[in-house]
Amino acid sequence: MECKTFEENLALYLYEELGAEERSAFEEHVKSCPACRSLLEQSRGVQQLLHQRAAAEPTPELLVECREALYRALDREQFGWRGLIRSWLPVAIGFPASQAVSTAALVVLGFSLGWVLRPHANRLSLPIKTDTAQTVPASDLSNVHINDITQVAPDAQTGAIRITLNAERKMTLEGSLDDPRIRDLLVNAVKGYDNAGIRRDTLDALRAGSRQPSVREALIYTMQHDPNTGMRLEALKTVEGMEWGSDLSQALIDSADHEQNPGVRLTAIVALVNHAEQAKDRTLVPELQRLAGNDSNRYVRITCAKAVHDLVGDGY
Amino acid sequence: MDGICLELAGKVSAEGSRLDEADEHDLIRRAQHGDRAAFEVLVRLYDREVLRLAIKVVGSPDEAQDLYQEAFLKVYRSIAHFRFDSRFSTWLYRVVMNVCLDHLRRQKNRSEVQAPESEEGQPEFFQTLADEKPGLDPERSVQGKEIRQRIGTALSQLTPRERMVFELKHYQGMRLRAIGELCGTTEETAKNCLFRATQKLRVALVDLA
Repeated sequence: MECKTFEENLALYLYEELGAEERSAFEEHVKSCPACRSLLEQSRGVQQLLHQRAAAEPTPELLVECREALYRALDREQFGWRGLIRSWLPVAIGFPASQAVSTAALVVLGFSLGWVLRPHANRLSLPIKTDTAQTVPASDLSNVHINDITQVAPDAQTGAIRITLNAERKMTLEGSLDDPRIRDLLVNAVKGYDNAGIRRDTLDALRAGSRQPSVREALIYTMQHDPNTGMRLEALKTVEGMEWGSDLSQALIDSADHEQNPGVRLTAIVALVNHAEQAKDRTLVPELQRLAGNDSNRYVRITCAKAVHDLVGDGY
Repeated sequence: MDGICLELAGKVSAEGSRLDEADEHDLIRRAQHGDRAAFEVLVRLYDREVLRLAIKVVGSPDEAQDLYQEAFLKVYRSIAHFRFDSRFSTWLYRVVMNVCLDHLRRQKNRSEVQAPESEEGQPEFFQTLADEKPGLDPERSVQGKEIRQRIGTALSQLTPRERMVFELKHYQGMRLRAIGELCGTTEETAKNCLFRATQKLRVALVDLA
């Protein structure tokens, strides 16, 4: 082994990453080269020195503090949902079943909600007070799942017992898209809920409500921004049936220019072409001309060129 | 959520020992469906290691707490995208690595790493960490503090990636192949980082060795 190779392998030797053959060659070289032997000793010294740095074992107090801070942050992450649901609570509990049945589109969703009660939360007694300061009848305990009991503090003098726990209640809400609260919940779900399966179900539920401005905006948003390719495609299929407008036009043009998935991009372009041809919309001619002239996809170029020809005639 | 999460949580000792793979996958799937309790069990399985690594990287418990939170929030927001094509721990530590690397890159603008100045009556920063030699006499304690500061300065001279590779190799004992995987690069690149890191540290600290 040469000295250059020795130096290249020095760190690997010290950290036992060399194979048997290389290690043997390395040690043979050390025996015969004083300079490299000195370098090895220096490196060992520095390696030992670096172990003087504190082991940095987290103290139990620090770990608890980190966990509590994380749980508070997770609460804030979920607050958007909780805030909506909490504002619903008086309405949802009293929502008349007859009204739900009579609506055109019934939406039934089950979300798993959590009222997470941290050690600093309200004193709990029967009837149970939630962190919304609402009193829930004791009979509702049957619908509450206790995740974790973090403290039980009996008071010997008064006989009262203070229980701090993490609890969760599952709720099922029924309503229709005519209800603005249902609509708001679904719009937020399709735009921001982490689970793609839930977003997909939500998209299906929103199809019938595209005339509502907030729903329309949410569907267009999903078509452009959902991280899931299948979702963007499904949203695209939904918006094709929507009333045309400048927002939809621009969103489809943006998809034609920026969409990464070829299938979604092509669907957006075909939607533009179909609208242009069916509605004789000549405002799209410049965009279609650009795609006909520059697009890397031959099918896109041909399709757009044909559409432009149909719209402006032989002048193209 | 039902008693299953409690049962699984009961399998985790105070030191965060691991569940078997099937139980862990069950927790992950529950977390992916929005089960907050399942996610918190996952946190408790791995957070001690995460915090240990963060403290190693930044040297400050306060900053490490921020990195801890940032890493787990990223995991929480993206756990739906975990596809079980790697171990969850690998995926998690990759998130932690990227958070730490980003922090080191931001910190690189500083000229040197300094321990926070202690306020009057507050314990010295390095004494808030577990000390392997609690019985040092004052003179040795001062020397030890100076050595640790020199080490901190030397480590700050490494690039963020060199620093991460070195921390994972020297203090966590990870294999270079695993480090390469965590960093989203090759074992060869990890080797080169380790080579450069040890070379720089030797030059900076050889007079103390």
